[in-house]
Amino acid sequence: MDLQEFRTGLDAWLDEHEPELRAESGPDLTLDEEMEHLSKVKRMTYDAGWMRRGWPERVGGLGGSTLMRAYLGEALASRDLIEPGVYSMTEVLAPTMIEFARPELAAEMVPRLLRGDETWCQGFSEPSTGSNLGSLSCRARRDGDAWRVTGQKVWTSLAQYAHRCVLLTRTGSPESSHRGITAMFVDMDSPGITVRPIRAIHGRDEFCEVFFDDVRVPVDRTLGEVGGGWAVAMDLLPYERSTSLWHRGAYLRQRLGRLLATVPDGAIDPGDLGEVVQMVFAFHARSRGTQHRMARGERLGPETSIDKVLLATTEQAVFDLVADAVPTAIAIGDDADGDRWRTEFLYSRAATIYGGSAEIQRNIIARRLLDLGTER
Amino acid sequence: MMDAETAELLAESLGRAFRHESVAAVEASLAEVGWREALQEEGAAVIPLLFTRQGAANATSGALDDLLTAALGLPADPGTAFVLPEFGTYGTPGRVQDGGLTVRGLGTARMPSAARAVLLAERDGALQAITVETGGLCTRPVGGVDPRLGLVAVEGQGVLASGSTAVTPAAWENALASGRVAVAYELIGASRAMLRLAREHAVTRIQFGRPIGTFQAVRHRLAECLVAIESAEAAAAIALGTGDRVSPLLAGMAKSLAGRNARTVARHCQQVLAGVGFTDEHDFHHYFRRVLTLDGLLGDARTLTRELGEELLRDRRLPAAPPL
Repeated sequence: MDLQEFRTGLDAWLDEHEPELRAESGPDLTLDEEMEHLSKVKRMTYDAGWMRRGWPERVGGLGGSTLMRAYLGEALASRDLIEPGVYSMTEVLAPTMIEFARPELAAEMVPRLLRGDETWCQGFSEPSTGSNLGSLSCRARRDGDAWRVTGQKVWTSLAQYAHRCVLLTRTGSPESSHRGITAMFVDMDSPGITVRPIRAIHGRDEFCEVFFDDVRVPVDRTLGEVGGGWAVAMDLLPYERSTSLWHRGAYLRQRLGRLLATVPDGAIDPGDLGEVVQMVFAFHARSRGTQHRMARGERLGPETSIDKVLLATTEQAVFDLVADAVPTAIAIGDDADGDRWRTEFLYSRAATIYGGSAEIQRNIIARRLLDLGTER
Repeated sequence: MMDAETAELLAESLGRAFRHESVAAVEASLAEVGWREALQEEGAAVIPLLFTRQGAANATSGALDDLLTAALGLPADPGTAFVLPEFGTYGTPGRVQDGGLTVRGLGTARMPSAARAVLLAERDGALQAITVETGGLCTRPVGGVDPRLGLVAVEGQGVLASGSTAVTPAAWENALASGRVAVAYELIGASRAMLRLAREHAVTRIQFGRPIGTFQAVRHRLAECLVAIESAEAAAAIALGTGDRVSPLLAGMAKSLAGRNARTVARHCQQVLAGVGFTDEHDFHHYFRRVLTLDGLLGDARTLTRELGEELLRDRRLPAAPPL
């Protein structure tokens, strides 16, 4: 199936099933409801075959170009059927499993993620390890045929819903830095794991603290090489800045379109609007190139930091425009529309922080793309 | 579609052409390379090859004249100049009223040596491409911020036409679109040159015992420049498309982005270059002058951006984005 067939087929299918795919309680649904709704969308698109396109057959996919994955998320976000941040975690976690897990483990687990039967999380950041990922200290000690994990993670999105976690641990000496990190795939119902959700600025329990107290993880759950966790993380990060950003771009266009359709006359300065639309267009153009490079099998690398900087800047520009256009709705609006604009505006402030902060992206660009050498 | 090898060879020859100092030598070299033939055969695909190099070399030529003349279906040659709209705008430079042709516009560096000029004129609400003898026009060099660009102000009243053809609004829109993408690429080429100069300075200039490029404040400014350039280039590339026709809507957006982002690049690079970037001896100022001037050709970023916003507020919907 090529992209054109996929697009035509999917569009027709979505036209037919849109009423079932739409979240029942409208735009101001709770996170619990949103997660349940997401599982439903994933299950329906998986069972109809759309979600399986672009993924390898050995993990339950139907093969074909990754552009189909990009288009599926785009189509769902354009129709306002998903929240792309949560939906697109698949695009980050599944490729990691495909590349680094034992083939049997990937074959067993990835279909559950794709079909929405399970939610997974990503245990990277720690209280003292934010941007400086190489300094993480959550400890894994070898004990026969298992690892024993003790430590703490934080900012772990959706951990309270997660069945599994892609976890980075310290297996080398405390000073081993990037070299002593090992990645593993952990069952979240293992004894010794405690999850404490954190209420975020926009009123959602967006992420969690996760505590590990002597948690047993079988050695065959190791992802990649022992001591090779840095490679796993570095390999995953460019994915975080490709397909998922494309989905997010589609969501931003949809929200901007909604603003344009509903805003009162005279509320938007045309020059401001024009500039934001051009930024959205430039991001679309940039990310489109990245989707095609990925589909050709090119290895994505530091150049995706440019995509991330653009998306973050654009997302904040879109919602700054919203804040200028409908200030009352954002400040004191108590209807569903006001609640949604406010939530989204507040959430947009995180765009320059999560997934590698704006500063980290610029560090990567300076060192890897501009060849300015190391700092100091 | 041009194959990669042909494109590479053409790009190299174009790069060499822009090493000449004088406009006449650049024009002769472009003729030798066969730029007009390439434009005719390969269409818009040659635009980035030429104009990024022209921008990077801080060179000037009549390539934009050729592009716009050819886009209106008229024969392009070194003896034919094109009268551009006045600075910052994109209205037709000519007007026919009571049988007389009045002209107010801009000429490129080709104008002084050209025998003929093509200009777009409005007559009773319809568009015409009119050919005139340059002897019938008043031209004077525009000094301004970038004298090296060689722009001339073009004026005339009761100018005699030696030929005219009707032009549809769509044909003019398409010609403008090609021209805008070309200027966008020239801005991008100039922006890359500014970044190159600032980067060289950052890795060689030592303060506090180390290159200033090791300081995060400097690194982040330069990173910002690369982001600005890459986003403008992605926009220009998608506006150019793969077919024969450049999208007018996307070309306007791409040119706005290239113009605005070039100012961002200039600001950061000049700050990194500091004192030396403020001198006449360092090359930076040539590029800074160039991007300030190029932004005003065929509609500046501010005007195009505002008009885009006004149009969208009338339609109340976003235009469809180019599909994957």
